[in-house]
Amino acid sequence: MDSKHIEQLLEKYWNCDTSLEEEQHLREYFRGDVPEPMKEVAEVFRYFDKQQKQQVNSPDFDAVVKKKIRQHRPEGKLVKMFYSYGRIAAGLLVVVAATYFVRQEVRKAYPPEIADTYSDPKLALEETKKALMMISKGFNRAQKEAGKIKVFNEAEEKIQGKALHETKEKESKI
Amino acid sequence: MNLETFENRVLPTKNKLFRFAFRLLGSSEEAKDIVQEVLIKVWNGREQMAEVQNMEAWCMRITKNLSLDRLRSKQRRATDPIEEGMEIRNETLTPHERTEIHENMQRLNEMIAALPEKQRQVIHLRDIEGYSYNEICEILELDMNQVKVNLFRARTAVREKFVKINAYGL
Repeated sequence: MDSKHIEQLLEKYWNCDTSLEEEQHLREYFRGDVPEPMKEVAEVFRYFDKQQKQQVNSPDFDAVVKKKIRQHRPEGKLVKMFYSYGRIAAGLLVVVAATYFVRQEVRKAYPPEIADTYSDPKLALEETKKALMMISKGFNRAQKEAGKIKVFNEAEEKIQGKALHETKEKESKI
Repeated sequence: MNLETFENRVLPTKNKLFRFAFRLLGSSEEAKDIVQEVLIKVWNGREQMAEVQNMEAWCMRITKNLSLDRLRSKQRRATDPIEEGMEIRNETLTPHERTEIHENMQRLNEMIAALPEKQRQVIHLRDIEGYSYNEICEILELDMNQVKVNLFRARTAVREKFVKINAYGL
């Protein structure tokens, strides 16, 4: 290849009008000895050439990738299902635990008002009976007293009956 | 896609993916991480990728997206983005590599690292990897016009900053 042709090609190259094949020609040309004025351009093409030879600098790269590929299992439907159920269960657990602890705290803060005072059940029964008897006595007495209210009722009825009688008499007169 | 197809068609692209991630991130460790992530992603999504025609361009596209994500989360964390950029550039080469590579090579490396993101991507894909314009459009999710404009700017920058200055000693 003559240098005139190369110069033309280079000009095309700088204007981005070269095809891939033409660029490959240039690369190959600049690999060899070039005239002095072309030296700088040659450096550029040699740089490109050299860069393309750079490789992943670890011998076990393929092995690592293959191992990772085998280990990596994309999560299936079953895994996803367990995962979402697990989330729900965890949420419930938190609620239950929280309720339990809050209840305990509340119990501690307010001791129960009703507590067992008798250890012997028979004694307790006797006491209960006594208490109930007292209440029933009270009721009876109150009932007797309440009976007196009847007097008022009777009186009211009598008055009303009289009043009715009088109005009837008046009506018959008219 | 079975494991065999994966090993024959996807795994061999690792060096191309690595170089691209490396160009974007500037750290070989991180680039390696990204390539692993890409390959695993491709494997896990192998059912959806049945209709992908150009597997390699597809992998490159994922590499670009993951690398840019990584870069952005790094920038968010960084307190001083300018310092972060400097760090990337210095990290590009290990001391061993630095002595090995010619001074000019290092200058070109730094120059391309300093280009705007899109120009850097396009010049890498075209001039280093030799992709067609259509493939570059697919990888970078850009239209033809944007790809050509970015390539033109990148090549012009290389020409002006490297070729002309070196040739005429300006």
